[in-house]
Amino acid sequence: MGRPVVHRSPMPGLGLSMGITFTMLSIVVLLPIGALLLQGVSYGAEGIWATVNRERVWKALYLSFRLSFYAAVFNLIFGVILAWVLARYRFPGHRILDAAVDLPFALPTAVAGIALTALYAPNGFFGASWTHTIAPALNAGLAWPEAALNVLVTGLGFEPWSLQVPPRIAYSTMGIFIALVFVGLPFVARTVQPVIHEIDREVEEASATLGASRLHTLRRVVWPMLLPAALTGFALSLARAVGEYGSVIFIAGNKPLVTEIAPLLIVIQLEEFSYDGAAAIGIAMLVISFAMLLVINLIQVWSRRRIGYV
Amino acid sequence: MTHQTLFGLVPFLQLPRSRDAQGDKTSLQETDMTIQTPRIDTPRETRSTILSGFRSLEGWPVSRLIRGAVAGIALVVSGALAAPVQAESLLNVSYDPTRELYREFNEAFSKYWVEQGNEAPEIEVSHGGSGAQARAVVEGLEAQVLTLALGGDIDRVAETGKLPKDWQTKLPHNSSPYTSTIVFLVREGNPKGLNDWGDLLKDGVEVITPNPKTSGGARWNYLAAWAWAEKNGKDPKEFVKALFEHVPVLDTGARGSTTTFVQREIGDVLLAWENEAYLALQEIGEDSFDIVVPSVSILTEPPVALVEGNIRSDEQRKLAEAYLNYLYSPEGQAIAFKNFYRAWDTSAANPEDVARFPKLDLVTIADFGGWEKAQPEHFGDGGTFDQIYVAK
Repeated sequence: MGRPVVHRSPMPGLGLSMGITFTMLSIVVLLPIGALLLQGVSYGAEGIWATVNRERVWKALYLSFRLSFYAAVFNLIFGVILAWVLARYRFPGHRILDAAVDLPFALPTAVAGIALTALYAPNGFFGASWTHTIAPALNAGLAWPEAALNVLVTGLGFEPWSLQVPPRIAYSTMGIFIALVFVGLPFVARTVQPVIHEIDREVEEASATLGASRLHTLRRVVWPMLLPAALTGFALSLARAVGEYGSVIFIAGNKPLVTEIAPLLIVIQLEEFSYDGAAAIGIAMLVISFAMLLVINLIQVWSRRRIGYV
Repeated sequence: MTHQTLFGLVPFLQLPRSRDAQGDKTSLQETDMTIQTPRIDTPRETRSTILSGFRSLEGWPVSRLIRGAVAGIALVVSGALAAPVQAESLLNVSYDPTRELYREFNEAFSKYWVEQGNEAPEIEVSHGGSGAQARAVVEGLEAQVLTLALGGDIDRVAETGKLPKDWQTKLPHNSSPYTSTIVFLVREGNPKGLNDWGDLLKDGVEVITPNPKTSGGARWNYLAAWAWAEKNGKDPKEFVKALFEHVPVLDTGARGSTTTFVQREIGDVLLAWENEAYLALQEIGEDSFDIVVPSVSILTEPPVALVEGNIRSDEQRKLAEAYLNYLYSPEGQAIAFKNFYRAWDTSAANPEDVARFPKLDLVTIADFGGWEKAQPEHFGDGGTFDQIYVAK
C-alpha cells in the first residue's frame, strides 16, 4: 500500500465537496467545451484554418475583441469609481443605486439591446441630439486637425486617416461599445466593492500621518489593494463582452466587414447548417479568449509578486 | 471578504459565525438540557412532545414532514407527466410574419374540426426566422406541420429523412396554399421617387433588408433584385453588389427590419414581403407609408408540408392532413387573402381583399433552377452574396 496521493484532510467534507465540484464543473463547463473541441477535431486543423482565415472572419474577430477590450477598460475605470462611491459614502438613494448596479445581470439581454437601440437610434432620445447636433459639430471641429494629421500621415506614405465620428450611435461601432459597457459594468463594481469595504480607514489615516499626499496614498496604499480585484473584474467583463450576442445584435447594424460581430458569424454558419464552420469560429474565439485571460492572469501574478497578497 | 454579495443571499453563511460569537454560554445551556432530557434513540412518527427542564417543544417530527413533502411533490409531478391525452395535438412550425395569419386560421380550423364531430384539437404554432425554425426541427423539435418561408428550408428537414424528398409534389400549387411577392415600402408620398429597382441605386438612398444569410424573406428580396437586373440587361452581380452598398443595417429577420424601418425611422425603402408591407400599413396607419410595386418581382412560395417522421398516431395524421387541406379550402384561402397573401381560390374571399393586388411580372424560383441550385449558388458559403462583402 502506497501513500494516498491526496492526504486525508483533518477538515471534514473534502471528499464530498471535491466530488460535487468535479461533477458540476464537468457537466456545466467541460462537457460543452469538450463537445465544441470534438466537433473541431473532426473538422481538422486545415478546415478550421480555412474557415477562420478569411477577411470577413478576421474583421469580425478583430471588431469583437477590440470593442470588448475598450468596453472592459471603460468598465474598469468607471466600475472602480462606482464601487468606491457605493462602499464609502452614504447618501439618499444609496440602496437603490446599489441595487441598480445588478440590473444588467438580471435584465434579458435582448430587452437591453432593444431599449438601447430605441434610445440611440437617430430618432431616439439620445440618438436624435447626436445625429442632428453633436456629431455635425464634432465633425466640423475635427476637420482641420484631421487635415493637419493627414498631411503628416500621407507624408510618411500611409493611407489618410479619418477622425470623423459616425452620424449614428446605433448601427455603428459606438452602439456595440455602449451595449458591451452595459452588460459588463456590474462585474468590476461587484468584485471591487467588497474589497473597498475591507480596507481599514486607519491604513489611509496612517499614510496621511506619515506625511503622504492624497495622491500618494491613493497610488501606493489604496490602489495596490484594489488591483487584484479590479483585474478580476476586468477579465470577467472582457470575457462577458466577447461572447455577448443578444443585446449587441439589435444595435450593431450587422454590416459585414463593418459592424458584424464574431458571434453573429457563428449564428450565420449555423443557419447554413455548417456546424463545422460554426465550431471553427467558436474555437478561434476560445483560443483568443484563453490567450487574453492568460495574459491577465500573468499580470495578476506579477502584481502579487510586486505588492504581495492583499 | 464581507458578506455583502450578489442578491443578498449570503446572510445564511453567517450563521455558524454568529453562533460562535455567543460562545460558551450556549454550549453550557445545551449540556444542561441533555442532562434533563431523556435521550431519544429513534425518531418518533407521530405528533410528539419533547420536554426539557426549561420548555417543551411540540410538533410533527421533521423527518416525517420531509417525507410527506417529497411524496406530495412526486405525486404532483407524476400527475403532470402522465396527463391523459384527451385531445389530439399539433405543432405547426412556421416563420416570422405568419403570426396573424395562423392565429385566425387556427381558430377557424378548430371550429371546422369540431363541426366534423371531433374533439377540439390543441394546435400550437411556433414562429421565428425560417432557417432557425428548420434547424430546430432538424435537431428534434417535434413539429407535425411545417409552414416555412421557402422550400429550401423544408428541403433541409427532408434531408434528415423526416419527410420524403418529393414533399413538394404532395399538395397542389407546389405545396404553396398561398403566395406573396416582394414589394417596396416607402415613406409617405415617396419623397425620393423610388418606383423600380433601378431607383434604389440613386445617391443617398438607404435600403433596409434583412440579412439573406439568416432570413428567408431576404433571400427572396435578393433574388427579385437579381431577376430585375437580368431582365433589364444589367450585370445582376454588379447590381446586387451596388444595392447592398445602400444597406446601412442588416437585421437577422424580416420583423427586425420592419422595426428598423418603421420604429427607428432608418432608411428610405424597406424591401418586404407584400403581406408584411400591407400589415405594416394596417398596423401603423396608411398615412405614414406607401407601397410601391416594382416592374419585376419574384413569386414567393412559402410552402407547407407534413412531417411524416413526427406523426405519432393515425388520429394525429388525420388531424395534420385535415389542417393542411383546410388551407386549400375556400374558407382557408379567404383567410389567406384577408391576411394579404395572394392565394388561389377566390370563391369565398372578400372581393376587396382580392382586388388589392396589382398584376406584375413575376419570376419564380424555378427560373433560378429551384432552391437546391439557388441556395448554394447565391447564399451558400462563398456564394454570390458572400462575394459582395469582400474587402475592396
